[in-house]
Amino acid sequence: MDHLVFEVGAALVLAAVATLLANRFKFSNVPFLIIIGMVVGPHIPAIGPLDLGFEESYDLLQFLGRVGVLFLLFYLGLEFSIGRLINSGRSIAVGGSVYIGINFTLGLLFGWLAGFQLAEILIVAGIITISSSAIVAKMLVDLRRTANPETEMILGIIMFEDIFLAVYLSILSGLVLSEGGSVGGTIITMLIVLGYILLFFVLARKASPFLNRVLDIRSSETFILVVFAALFFVAGFSETLHVAEAIGALLLGLVLSETEHRQRIERLVIPFRDFFGAIFFFSFGLSIDPLTLLDAALLSVLAVVLTIAGNFVAGMIAGRNAGLSSRASANVGLTIVSRGEFSIIVASLAIGGGLSGLIQPFAALYVLILSLLGPLLTKESGRIFGLVSKAFSREKAADDASG
Amino acid sequence: MNVRETQLPGIGRKFQADLRSGERIVVVIHDEGRREIYQFDRKDLDESIASFDLDDDEARQLAGIVGGMVYTPRALERVEMAFDALVIEWHKVEEGSRAEGSTIGELGVRKNFGATIVAVIGDGEQIINPGPEVSIRSGTTLVVAGEREQVAGFQAALTADRS
Repeated sequence: MDHLVFEVGAALVLAAVATLLANRFKFSNVPFLIIIGMVVGPHIPAIGPLDLGFEESYDLLQFLGRVGVLFLLFYLGLEFSIGRLINSGRSIAVGGSVYIGINFTLGLLFGWLAGFQLAEILIVAGIITISSSAIVAKMLVDLRRTANPETEMILGIIMFEDIFLAVYLSILSGLVLSEGGSVGGTIITMLIVLGYILLFFVLARKASPFLNRVLDIRSSETFILVVFAALFFVAGFSETLHVAEAIGALLLGLVLSETEHRQRIERLVIPFRDFFGAIFFFSFGLSIDPLTLLDAALLSVLAVVLTIAGNFVAGMIAGRNAGLSSRASANVGLTIVSRGEFSIIVASLAIGGGLSGLIQPFAALYVLILSLLGPLLTKESGRIFGLVSKAFSREKAADDASG
Repeated sequence: MNVRETQLPGIGRKFQADLRSGERIVVVIHDEGRREIYQFDRKDLDESIASFDLDDDEARQLAGIVGGMVYTPRALERVEMAFDALVIEWHKVEEGSRAEGSTIGELGVRKNFGATIVAVIGDGEQIINPGPEVSIRSGTTLVVAGEREQVAGFQAALTADRS
């Protein structure tokens, strides 16, 4: 009996239910999809006749999830704009650098103290550093803070992080996917990866007139076929050079973002990104044995505490440096603390490298906590700032009294 | 009125206007067409005290009312891509501005700036599609159409004091 379509249908029903629930509670659907994936995954023993293991469709769902990552990163590349970055101004450049400097360093330290290997430390640092652009933008709009003075700083830091993610993922995938593990082999792989990335940067600068002509296609049927053919082919070809397919998709997005068809491609990709992206988070949940969450619990909770502290401090420094008030600066860190899609993508790279099995459940739990807790911190940022400033003033008063 | 325009990457554009009365009004134009309008209290510029949302068509209608003429750019809604960069600005000619007393022909609006004066609105009279012989007086409002840069260039030249 071939139940493939039926199983995929069941998976989509679950994903739709999870997303409906998420919308009900005004949360991102990422944690809900991961949870529901874990609950119905093959690791759970069948309860009587109710067997939702997705045995037959497991591989297919993983593949559809891979397609989801391609679309997610392709879209990230499309959104990426050097011009925007140059125009973002000095205070945002300082803020973005401070933010990444502090949080990436904390991530490296954390991975090292947790006793991971080098490649794993780099992955953990990536998971911890990158905020969820989707959740942050959604929170700003939902909480009606788009007009606030700190919003430019928040979006600027997010933009910096996305660019950092693009560069970092490219380098990381070269490291993780390089076989043999000899130093020489790794260096050669890294050089190939860097050359490949540079090639795409050159293409982005030079090839846009040519691409403008090629993509000047009236029929939307032809247009979608041409764009998707390029996307899948470039992504697949990248894999043969030890550049993760997701990075190939991202680099192609980068090249196409410089053409005048950028907006048309974006409109085209968004529904695919949302659909296959949802399958990706669901299939990520499927691949995690809920029992291993317990092993990762302590690590994840520590990482969450570290992230909140690091984000708050970095936001304060960035905000104050840009001349924002203390309260607005507190909003910066407490808004960019949400974690989501990108942390999961970084973690999924670790599958390809055959690294520690702890990374997956660690990332899952970490993202589950911070994708739910992050928006709450954002919402209550005013109250949190009040508490923190009270604590500080009391400390100061005690210092003054003793001093 | 001091207007600051900034990009909100991934969301849209933000216009912040500080009024003579000391109030601060912020308009956020979302990429998908929605507008959000916020009012800030002059004593606390961190938190807005009032806000409302408009759809694209509501915003256009309201802009017509606020700008002193009810105006629905039906043609613009149909032609989407070609007029991506088209803006229409209402510009009040202040006393002592460089353009005062010159005719449209003398200013060379189209030749020098690429912009077009669509209408001149004075007290009690409206000249739609004015010819080059129409002279510009202070107190009248010019409706200028063109690409964003062209209109901005024209306005900058117009507001410059006579030197």
